[in-house]
Amino acid sequence: MNRPRATTNRRRFLQGSTLAGAAGLTGLSGCSYWSGSNSRVSRAAGKKVIIIGIDGMDPRLCSQMMSEGLLPNMAKLRATGGFSELGTSVPPQSPVAWANFINGNGPGTHGIFDFIHRHPHEQCAPFYSAAETVPGEGAWEVGDYQLQLDFWPFNHKPSETVLRRQGVPFWDYLDASGIPTTFYDLPSNYPPSPSQYGHHRCICGMGTPDMAGSYGTYQYFAENGPPQPIDEGGGRRTRIKFDEETGQGELIGPENGLLKVAKPMTIPFKVHRDLQSNAVAIDLPTQRLVLKPGQWSPWIRLNFEMTTPAFLPDKEVSGICRILVQEVAPIFRMYVSPINVDPRAAVVQLSEPESFIGDVANHLGPFYTTGFKEDHKARTNGVFNDDEFVRQATNVMEERLALFDYAVQDYEDGLLFFYFSSSDLQSHMFWWNSDKPHPIRSTTEAQKWHGYIRRLYQRLDQVVGDIYDRYGSQATIIVMSDHGFSEFGRQFNLNSWLRWYGYLGPPECTSLFKDVDWSQTAAYGLGINGLYINLKGRERDGIIEPGEQKEALIQELIFGLTQLQDEDGRQVVRNVYRSDQVYSGDATELAPDLIVGYARGYRASWATCLGDLTDDVLLDNDQAWSADHCADALEVPGILFSNRKITDAQPSLVDLAPSILKEFGLKTPATMSGKVVLG
Amino acid sequence: MPELARIISALNQFANFFGRALANAVAPLPGWLSATVIGVLTGVVMLVGYKYTSNQRAIKRVRDQMKANMLSLKLFKDNMRSVFGSQLGLVGGAGKLLLHSLLPMVVMFIPITLAMTQLSLWYQMRPLQVGETAVVSLQLRDDTPTPLPAVKLDGGDFAEIVTGPVRIDSTKEVTWEIVARTTGLHELQFDVNGELVTKSLSIGDRYLRVSLLRPTLKSWVDVVLNPAEQPFAVDSAVQSIAITYPERDSWTSGTDNWVIYWLVVSMAAAFALKSVFNVNL
Repeated sequence: MNRPRATTNRRRFLQGSTLAGAAGLTGLSGCSYWSGSNSRVSRAAGKKVIIIGIDGMDPRLCSQMMSEGLLPNMAKLRATGGFSELGTSVPPQSPVAWANFINGNGPGTHGIFDFIHRHPHEQCAPFYSAAETVPGEGAWEVGDYQLQLDFWPFNHKPSETVLRRQGVPFWDYLDASGIPTTFYDLPSNYPPSPSQYGHHRCICGMGTPDMAGSYGTYQYFAENGPPQPIDEGGGRRTRIKFDEETGQGELIGPENGLLKVAKPMTIPFKVHRDLQSNAVAIDLPTQRLVLKPGQWSPWIRLNFEMTTPAFLPDKEVSGICRILVQEVAPIFRMYVSPINVDPRAAVVQLSEPESFIGDVANHLGPFYTTGFKEDHKARTNGVFNDDEFVRQATNVMEERLALFDYAVQDYEDGLLFFYFSSSDLQSHMFWWNSDKPHPIRSTTEAQKWHGYIRRLYQRLDQVVGDIYDRYGSQATIIVMSDHGFSEFGRQFNLNSWLRWYGYLGPPECTSLFKDVDWSQTAAYGLGINGLYINLKGRERDGIIEPGEQKEALIQELIFGLTQLQDEDGRQVVRNVYRSDQVYSGDATELAPDLIVGYARGYRASWATCLGDLTDDVLLDNDQAWSADHCADALEVPGILFSNRKITDAQPSLVDLAPSILKEFGLKTPATMSGKVVLG
Repeated sequence: MPELARIISALNQFANFFGRALANAVAPLPGWLSATVIGVLTGVVMLVGYKYTSNQRAIKRVRDQMKANMLSLKLFKDNMRSVFGSQLGLVGGAGKLLLHSLLPMVVMFIPITLAMTQLSLWYQMRPLQVGETAVVSLQLRDDTPTPLPAVKLDGGDFAEIVTGPVRIDSTKEVTWEIVARTTGLHELQFDVNGELVTKSLSIGDRYLRVSLLRPTLKSWVDVVLNPAEQPFAVDSAVQSIAITYPERDSWTSGTDNWVIYWLVVSMAAAFALKSVFNVNL
């Protein structure tokens, strides 16, 4: 038998190298495709569209500041293209508004009508509207543990968080056309919707939970804290005791879901203080921090040990937090930020593709990943004073600006969307553009802090200027907000009003979730703007017949609410919208029957949002959260700036998606109700 | 065991001499390249060391026997007795090879340990960059009376104290947060009740030797793991000084990964070059 020759001829070499080259190229493109890399061939043909989403930026304040010459870059954009108020959603709540932007259509198509929805078959059981955690089914019980095994023969179904937003997001059309899209901190998109063709990247924004599964739960340790830890809305307050200037405590982490009775995992810490130098050393299991009052720690990685049954190795889940020592003595006080999911080792999917957020974090280091980054709850609950809140919000802003810089550096073509939350959450605390007395601040203080909001607008104007300088002539630039802002001086308890007029009973009831008698209840309010008829056949304990009885009740309620006046004669409700008139689409199942649009200065009361009733129907707002946008949609339009001509006199949020598609040469799809508004 | 620690400290001084020379030679190279070069060099040194500390003839004999057993397995696979005999021979051969490698392993244990601790100064952590902060912790003797004495830290013009000192009576520690100001290999100076002590501080964006801890002679393990600086005497008021440095992020020359990469490269180099150096492994 002859041995095959080891030499090769030119023809074989050419054949081989061609095949190898083709295989290599296929492999490379395949790898690139599956890795979700943006080096994939873009069909944007160099076309660039950049959107800066500034949550809550108000058109009236923008106009005023432009006329004062304080927003030169926005004024330049207005002169180049245009500026307009941007019609917001009904109701003007961020999850609803951003979903309108995403679908290019109204709530009837995406199914988000308020921050809070309810399950009608469970009679008013509330849940967050944009995402819901569905409990798992089946488990293998071993001692104190329950294991969910999602393979044959067990086929258990683990619990999962599902995105409740329905319909087709506009980037799906771009994705299918090979046009790359990149979104940083997109609201109403957690968990992230998948990219079918691999041209879409997105980091989730508003709606993303912290490690505790909440929308941000800080921990506060103080020598004068309560004897037993208490959970307050958005935070946990704990007493810390010092023995020979050393105190100890535990950081509460996520729950160990493998346990039958879920318990939170904890990390112990010690605080050593030096009264002479007015500083502390904080010892965590893997590191030491040395801090003085007012000093923020860097991001700290916390590794929580997750115990498992004996035959399995224990696991670690990591989160990140920052610590602020507020006071060393005489009363030690320390704030620990909500424990954010670590973007470098995310335990839940925070981006599409999943690796995207890790790639960004490897460049920039850790950053806030929770949806609500500015800790407004700490300010509302008195853990922060105004200065501390501003410092924390500034930390967020500095991180956002670094991320923005990265986003712009990483951008080649296609669509780039970048979201700023600072203007919204800080306006909630500091906006006060009114002659009326502020709920908790003197007029001087209110003016001082409103001035701070103006400076924030100026900082954001610089961001716009930066983008304009870099891309003004090469890209379509859109600067938009989902809604504007309004003072919130008086609060209206919708359920108390319903009780007063006999629509909700019994007369002495105090909470929707405790002592309401549904057989005496014709209608109830839930969320911030929603009003639901207790409809037979839809609600578990419904009593109102569909048809004439329902129609008559709706007419009564609209009349009553729009006639409502405050003690000084001011109108409380500007409009009441019927959902069957303002919503159309396939996703109206959970829509409220009526949407209450409050007049400027008013909003649903804090108690209403929690399902509680108060003695008074109208009360002063006594919270630091002194401005809001959950009013009538006509009161709080958003902004639209572009370097392209705005061709419509009354553009709306739903018009942006068709306009973006047109920029890339795509027609408005049938799933959208918006129109093209950019020339 | 202070005596053992003293011996290790003397060995460290010897290793530091070579460590610094090697570090200076590869400092301009990127991390992956220096890690690869060092890995290959180590592989060659281990190979030569193995050659001269092992019984090469005996190893060759065992290898030949094992080859014969392999051949026997192939040729007489129908003869069960032969097959079992050959398999036993192979297992026995592997055991003999292990025995023959014990002496080289014992001989090379100390130099390899010294080499690893020198490399850890280079790759385990990275120097502070200008503007970065670090925590400095000084450990006093257990019998230091409380309240703790005044301890002064002088960072010169290369490091600034941000916070501290925080005196921790319960653990006899004094701790500070500092921020790096100028690049270079510097020395922090501490004045503990009149006793002046120093601790090295590495600042820069290039490769520098990074000493995490200046240990005490009371702990020989710490002296092994932290070879860069002279240990504190047993009766010194200061027992150790530690600085937290950032982790180095690299698959080839970063925190913890460098050990794996170094071992893999040195082993691969040793296997690849064994015929060049005529070594039986």
